[in-house]
Amino acid sequence: MASAANANLNAVRETMDVLLEISRLLNTGLDMESLSICVRLCEQGINPEALSAVIKELRKASESLKVQSQPP
Amino acid sequence: MPSCTSSSITELLSALCDCSLSGVSWKRRALGGVSRESFHRALKKRAYGALLSKLFQDGTKGPAPGLSATANTPPRNKVLMICFDLRVAGCLEEAERLEEQLERLPKGEYSGLKEVDAVLDLLVNLAGSAPPPPTSF
Repeated sequence: MASAANANLNAVRETMDVLLEISRLLNTGLDMESLSICVRLCEQGINPEALSAVIKELRKASESLKVQSQPP
Repeated sequence: MPSCTSSSITELLSALCDCSLSGVSWKRRALGGVSRESFHRALKKRAYGALLSKLFQDGTKGPAPGLSATANTPPRNKVLMICFDLRVAGCLEEAERLEEQLERLPKGEYSGLKEVDAVLDLLVNLAGSAPPPPTSF
C-alpha cells in the first residue's frame, strides 16, 4: 500500500516538474507555487479557460497596485 | 505540491490572490494607502468576478462568439501547434525543447493527476501572458 502511494507521489512530482518546464517554455509567468494551486483548482473541476481569465485579472489588479506604490 | 491536497476552491483562490501580492511592499502602503487585507479582499472579488463571468458566458450563450477554431482541439495538439508556430518563427530550439517536454509529460492516470490535460489547457491559455520583468534601473 505504501509503495503504491509512493509511486503516485513520484508520478505527481515528475508531472509537476514537466508541467513547470512547459509553463516556462510557454512563457505563462507561473511559478511552482502558483502552478500547484492551479493544478489543484483544475483537479477540483475548475474550467481552465475561466481559471486563466482569473489569473490575468489578478495580474492586472496587482500590477496597478505596484504602479501606485512606486515612490513619486 | 503543497502537502494538504484537500483545500477547498475558496481556499485555493485565496492562495492564488496571495501569490499575486508577492513583491508589493506593504509598510509604506499601510501608512497612507490600502492595507494588505483590504487589497486581498479586493483581489478575491475580482477573481470570483472573472471566474463566474467566464463560467456563465460558457453556460448561457453556448459557444462564445468568435470561439476560436481550436476550442475543441485536445490540449496536447494545441501545444504542438505552438511548437509549429515557434518553428515558423525560427525558434527551433524552443520548439524542440517544448516537444521533448510534451513527450515526457505522463498521460492520464500515469501522471498522478486526474486533470493533467485541463492543466495543459490552462498553460496554453496563459501562453505568452507573463508580465514583463520589473525594470531594475
